Amino acid sequence: MADRRRINGPAGATIPPVFDDASTRGPKSIKSRSRPANATRKMYLKTGVTPSASGSAYLEIETSATPGVSGLKLSCSVHGPRSLPRSAPFSPHIVLSTHVKYAPFATKQRRGYLRDPSERDLGIHLEAALRGAIIADRWPKSGVDIIISIVEGDQDRETSQLQGDEVWDMMNALGGCITVAAAALADAGIDCVDTVAGGVAALVQDAGEDSIPTVVVDPIPSEHEKILAACCIAYLPTRDEVTNLWFRGDLPASDIDLYTNLVEKGIQASKNANRVLVGCLAETIQ
Amino acid sequence: MTAPTIKLPAPLFARLSPHPFLLRNLTATAAAADPARPPAARTNGRGTNETRPLHAKASSLSHAHGSSLVRLGDTTVLCGVRAELLPVERIPLFRPVDRVGDGERGGGDGGDGGDGAGEGGRALLGRGELRDYDLLVPNIELATGSAPQFLPGVPPTALAQTLSTRVYSLLHSTGLVGVEDLRVWSKPGSGEGGDTEMEGAGEAQEVQEGVEEEDRVVAYWVLYIDLLFVSFDGNPFDAAWAAVVAALRNTSLPVARWDPEREMVVCSRTEKRQLNVRGLPVACTAAVFEEKELGEVGTGVVEGRHWLLLDPDRLEETLCREAITMVVDCSDGETRIKSIEKQGGTTIGRELIRGFAVIAEKRWKEVQGAMK
Repeated sequence: MADRRRINGPAGATIPPVFDDASTRGPKSIKSRSRPANATRKMYLKTGVTPSASGSAYLEIETSATPGVSGLKLSCSVHGPRSLPRSAPFSPHIVLSTHVKYAPFATKQRRGYLRDPSERDLGIHLEAALRGAIIADRWPKSGVDIIISIVEGDQDRETSQLQGDEVWDMMNALGGCITVAAAALADAGIDCVDTVAGGVAALVQDAGEDSIPTVVVDPIPSEHEKILAACCIAYLPTRDEVTNLWFRGDLPASDIDLYTNLVEKGIQASKNANRVLVGCLAETIQ
Repeated sequence: MTAPTIKLPAPLFARLSPHPFLLRNLTATAAAADPARPPAARTNGRGTNETRPLHAKASSLSHAHGSSLVRLGDTTVLCGVRAELLPVERIPLFRPVDRVGDGERGGGDGGDGGDGAGEGGRALLGRGELRDYDLLVPNIELATGSAPQFLPGVPPTALAQTLSTRVYSLLHSTGLVGVEDLRVWSKPGSGEGGDTEMEGAGEAQEVQEGVEEEDRVVAYWVLYIDLLFVSFDGNPFDAAWAAVVAALRNTSLPVARWDPEREMVVCSRTEKRQLNVRGLPVACTAAVFEEKELGEVGTGVVEGRHWLLLDPDRLEETLCREAITMVVDCSDGETRIKSIEKQGGTTIGRELIRGFAVIAEKRWKEVQGAMK
């Protein structure tokens, strides 16, 4: 059933271009990380990009050294707090509603306009992460909308086939979403106990048969041969609290410390993001 | 003892009673209380014929084939053009295009094989393909939190639907993109398949030799033109249209060829061909602000004064009922009006429209400067 409220294009399905791989295969196939294992990519954060919203922020993560790999670009706007509609049941707290949407041109495959389950999933994780940071009982009977558009996801443009990377891309996207939403919430003047920021760590296995899996922060799927597990953490630094933890993949059962190690690295990545966030907010105040 | 006067700050006054607020601003010359203020300025400080400067930035996205970011004051639009292939087998009622070479590369060389149909006929045919196979798919998304009235989770608003349709029809009526650029030919002699740019000459040769290996259209490029409003502050159509034009001018499609072994169209990674965009149509919108308020429909009330507000912002748009949009193109020396749309009232007459063409022409020059 086609969406009749939009322009849908031709009746027959269109196919994304298939590239001729024969000519350019070579140095590209070597995957290597361009940063040290515990270094995150640089990020750029700016508040107040949407003047018509109560608060807004824009986040851009540095494009990778590998050509053709785009960095994450996110735009977030916050509307509210405002009174809930009459039909809504009484709520003693502020009601958060989060929407995360990929732009149609954000990824290699064209995205539709309707939200798909993965985007809903991101929204739910984001809500959980922010709920722990907002002082919710200051606004009874009111709601706030947090809307994030993923303008560009970080994906390798050159690889022609998907390698099951979307799962790990979602982790990175969530980490960015949490940071940008925290900045927009602060811009909207909504009281929070602390600035929450997201960080991602992963257990990766690099090329070579007998290489030992290592823990890295801020992984880019295209830079690693294989990602075994990843976790995305939303962390409040001054309270030393984790508001959301999302773990995916499987760890080798032999090493018990690996899980704690992974979470610690995630917290470290989150602290880095938080430093940028605080710097950006301090800049806005001046 | 004097009555206490209530002093409201300007933004609050604007929220409480927007219509008198704008009216008082526009009639400020009559009051002339403040000599420092320029006469008859709008609430946003612009004159009635003053537009917001337009900033355009091309190729800001890496996954799209062409993209642009256009800022018009506080209205920000992001446009991404993405091309996908539509094989002809999937087109119902496909009419084969058998005229080899004519108008294929930029037209103009109408020497070969033009069996009776002139330039006009050919252009018409091209237009027909674009429309019949729906090769241009513009969509506008407002529900990105760009303004408080557009929140996601609901179907696209009437405004979003209207804007998409207006962009769609204008794309077809202006003929901005020609169908020649969107056709993918099966290049039978794929020995010289590498240099597709030179193919024009090669095809001419084939025609002279007599066409034993027929060259046919195997697929079409479909351009998905997606517009995302990052921030909304009035005048969405002008901004969206400017973004579409800027993105299309930035678009380059990979060179595609037919692979007979795999029986599919494959694209080259390295070679790209710039999309030909004809002309530079620019939209210019103005809203009519009437002295009497929208609600009060008085019978027999004398016609109030009215102002034509160029490039209206969000506040002004909510107060105006009548609006005019003119699309002009002056790129070939003379001003051509591509479309006039007017809705909502009876104030704008023939003289006003004629006068508006001059304003639109001025706007075209500004936008052209920004697009470079």
